[in-house]
Amino acid sequence: MALTDVAMLIVIAVAGFLIAGALSPFEALGWWAGWFGSEEPEDSLPEVSSKPQMKHAVVFLSGIHSVSGESYSERELAFLEKLRERLPDVEVIEVFPYSVTNRALTGQRFFAWFWRWALKMKVSGAGVAGFVINLRNLWQVAVSADRRYGPIYNQGSADMIYHALIKAGYSKDHKVPVTLIGYSGGGQIAAGAAPHLKHMINAPITVISLGGVISSDLGLPALEHVYHLYGQRDNVQRLGLIFFPGRWRILPYSSWNQAIEKHIITLIKLGPMDHTGPKGYLDSDTYTPDGRSYLDVTLDTITALISNRPRPQMNELTPDTLPTRV
Amino acid sequence: MFNQGMDVGHAFEMIGQALGLRREPFQVLLASDSVTRLGFLVLVLAGFSEALGQSIVLFVNRVKPRRFVASLLLSTLIFAFGFGFWSFSIWVVADVLFEVHQPFRVVPQVLSLAYAPYLFSFFTLTPYFGTFFGSILSLWRLLAVLIAVSVSLSLTLSQALICGALGWMLLQVLQRTIGRPVVWLSRRLRRMVAGVPLVFDKNRWAELVNENVEDDA
Repeated sequence: MALTDVAMLIVIAVAGFLIAGALSPFEALGWWAGWFGSEEPEDSLPEVSSKPQMKHAVVFLSGIHSVSGESYSERELAFLEKLRERLPDVEVIEVFPYSVTNRALTGQRFFAWFWRWALKMKVSGAGVAGFVINLRNLWQVAVSADRRYGPIYNQGSADMIYHALIKAGYSKDHKVPVTLIGYSGGGQIAAGAAPHLKHMINAPITVISLGGVISSDLGLPALEHVYHLYGQRDNVQRLGLIFFPGRWRILPYSSWNQAIEKHIITLIKLGPMDHTGPKGYLDSDTYTPDGRSYLDVTLDTITALISNRPRPQMNELTPDTLPTRV
Repeated sequence: MFNQGMDVGHAFEMIGQALGLRREPFQVLLASDSVTRLGFLVLVLAGFSEALGQSIVLFVNRVKPRRFVASLLLSTLIFAFGFGFWSFSIWVVADVLFEVHQPFRVVPQVLSLAYAPYLFSFFTLTPYFGTFFGSILSLWRLLAVLIAVSVSLSLTLSQALICGALGWMLLQVLQRTIGRPVVWLSRRLRRMVAGVPLVFDKNRWAELVNENVEDDA
């Protein structure tokens, strides 16, 4: 291939990247402006009897690799299954966090055919297709973190999570606590949506970021608690620390640093884990010296945080130093 | 297509040269005896791209699709008027300060191509990095404007900078004094076309979203 062809391919790739970025806010903006039809009114939700026995609701927001709530990776599915086993009294709900309308990319969209094709290619092992899906969802994370679009996108996400909760039998009259688990880019979406959701349900909301790429969202100080779980080999979660200046320690008055100061954010070092795949947080085939798999360490930590335990007053913890049950 | 003897390829070449901050394309425009179609086209497309880049104002204020398109066209028109007024103020400053007695038409004729960087204003929509892109584009256009002013009025770059800066300040003074009815009219037109009372203040957008959510609830 001639050098000019390579250069042309690079130019096309960069142009595609930038155009995808410039177009990325339109779904959220169009939703807000009411261009996609009126919002689903609360009384039009399907008749779902609330579950008075529900003691706690957990909403899982997947990583940027997903195209719908039904296309989670095998590791994510195993994680959710074990989480349900360990927390039988907790309602675990899954949402697709990269669309404020909770529409799967493969659902009722103009480009659904493209995303179905991309998913098929990804499943058959074509790395480029996975990259395109990641890129699309990564821009949505940037929309959530943007000061201009954030209020709209995060309100839309909160709205979407609220509807998912109601459909699962959540009653806002009982002020049942809600925990949002955001994996990877889902961490930012969870942190952005949480303050809006709190306003809607008026119940305690905790965010658990699993290797989340989180910005210094303005609503962070209003939350009950944010636990940021990270692995020492996870370079993806470090992107948040690099790209979002509010996370830099030299800016003590940023929302993130203020929330750290007020002990609202706790950083939990899980171990030598990577972001995803083998040796990632959800890997059940790699073990720590104490014989637990990486998945078990992640599950142990998350179940301990969701279970009724006092709020830690420390900013840096490891799974071994989590407070014990009262 | 654009002028006698100018094809699309040549037009792209001139735009590329203007983006590369070269003097040649501006000299070509100066040599033509009227406001060229190329300059006009660049100005209109740059204005439309800029309007798209700023369209978040319309979305936040929940402007309906048809009115959205009309608002973009109106913004493009206002952008072109702004260009005209700035050209005029630059010409006035150059005339008074440096005693340059060129006909007025040469300024917009050449300056229009200096707006080529704004063809990319659409990218200011990019989340997180958009504001930074916008600053880069403003600086880029400013440099192109300096070259255009320097070419059109035969000034040095430092004289062009003085003309551009004082011309911009003159424009600001005019907007706040005798130009107030024009500013008022443009705002009224924008609101009329949008069909809703537009809130332009970015700091009020989050507040607006919360207010609307409470109203919807």
